[in-house]
Amino acid sequence: MPFVSPYRRTSSSLRARLRYLPLVALAVLGAVLGSRPAAAQWVGYPTAGVPRTADGKVDMAAPAPRMPDGKPDFSGIWSTADRSRATEAGDVASDGNDVSSSRYMANFGAEMPGGLPYQPWLVPIVKERTANLAIDDPHIRCLPDNFLRAYGLPHMLKFIHKPDILAVLDEMNAGYRQVFTDGRPLPDAPAPAWQGYSSAKWSGDTLVIDTIGLRDDTWIDWNGSVLTESAKVREEMRRPDFGHLEIKVTVNDPKAYTKPWTVMLRQRIVVDAELIDEVCLENEQFAQHTQGIRQLPKEPAPAQ
Amino acid sequence: MTTTSRAAVLSLIASTLTLSLPAYAHHSFPAEYDASKPVMLTGKVTKVEWTNPHIFIYIDVADAKTGAVANWALELGGPNSLLRLGWKRDSLKAGDVVIVEGSLARTVPNLANAKTIVMAETGKRMLAGSSGPATSEGQR
Repeated sequence: MPFVSPYRRTSSSLRARLRYLPLVALAVLGAVLGSRPAAAQWVGYPTAGVPRTADGKVDMAAPAPRMPDGKPDFSGIWSTADRSRATEAGDVASDGNDVSSSRYMANFGAEMPGGLPYQPWLVPIVKERTANLAIDDPHIRCLPDNFLRAYGLPHMLKFIHKPDILAVLDEMNAGYRQVFTDGRPLPDAPAPAWQGYSSAKWSGDTLVIDTIGLRDDTWIDWNGSVLTESAKVREEMRRPDFGHLEIKVTVNDPKAYTKPWTVMLRQRIVVDAELIDEVCLENEQFAQHTQGIRQLPKEPAPAQ
Repeated sequence: MTTTSRAAVLSLIASTLTLSLPAYAHHSFPAEYDASKPVMLTGKVTKVEWTNPHIFIYIDVADAKTGAVANWALELGGPNSLLRLGWKRDSLKAGDVVIVEGSLARTVPNLANAKTIVMAETGKRMLAGSSGPATSEGQR
């Protein structure tokens, strides 16, 4: 079939209108470009749907958004609200330029009387790791951070929440975590994974996430506290308002700890920002620069 | 290039805005650098490695007394932290003359962690987005 130009069938009036199409397109393009700042890597690109107060600030106390099924929508970019630096601003949204570390980043048990309840075999290991300034830290070796640790590191997490899944993207090492909310059971005898296997159910407006199947000896803080293959982690996650997530974490890991322990983690919203690659293996030089301090690596002691 | 006097650098820095340094941390700062050994260097950029997890720049620094030139490696923050601080990919180029304030490495010679970088030609001061020494528990 021969090619027939559609323009041959166009009426003369339509052709006249089409003559102005390039001008209209240019005008629209100009309006679009003029209304948004050009931004490298979308730094500063405005986040849609952000509630603001009369003075233009992010309304942190505005109601949390909800998904079509009525459940709270945890979508957004998040960073720790458990900040450690006294100089930082109060309860305001982050613009991505003040992402901080958590006060739990060095020690998850920092605010627990007596600290984390380590099993005896783990006590000297944590002591050594703390004393040697975390020189063996898997994070420094560019290995993935598990989700507990990622909540407190100064790298952004992006939550994409749908009725059947909560996906968490971590800009550090292009990491990801999947929390299934489709009713699937936790797997039997799972092969150990960096983020384990997570399945969740709603209890009112709180998402109750259960995770098993983590790798042995995955660090959760700079001091070298760990989770092991025996760990069962429960997160009770809620979004009390637009600007915050609250995550009550309960760790039951009898291989590493003498009893279950609980910590409350808080996140604050990050707006007008986007994830930017931080793929550690590109040019990591820490191990090379610290060779003179001590020979690396040293295998951790076997668990009892 | 010559090693810049501390007074001149402080004067230059004082003329610019004071900004808080964000806490971007990939590694244990105190294991690699000594915050008690500050250093100020002036030199011409010979190479920029715009890489993760930390950017490295290399500058030629001449000894003020002997004139001997040494190439220093300076570790900055990662690309994402510097982009969020307002840096662009080409904010620093080979040939630029910079004044760097930072901390000396513990064991590696001619290596430092950069805290601030001042463009010698314009006086523009840029935070280097480095990880920093401990300021409180949880901060490394």
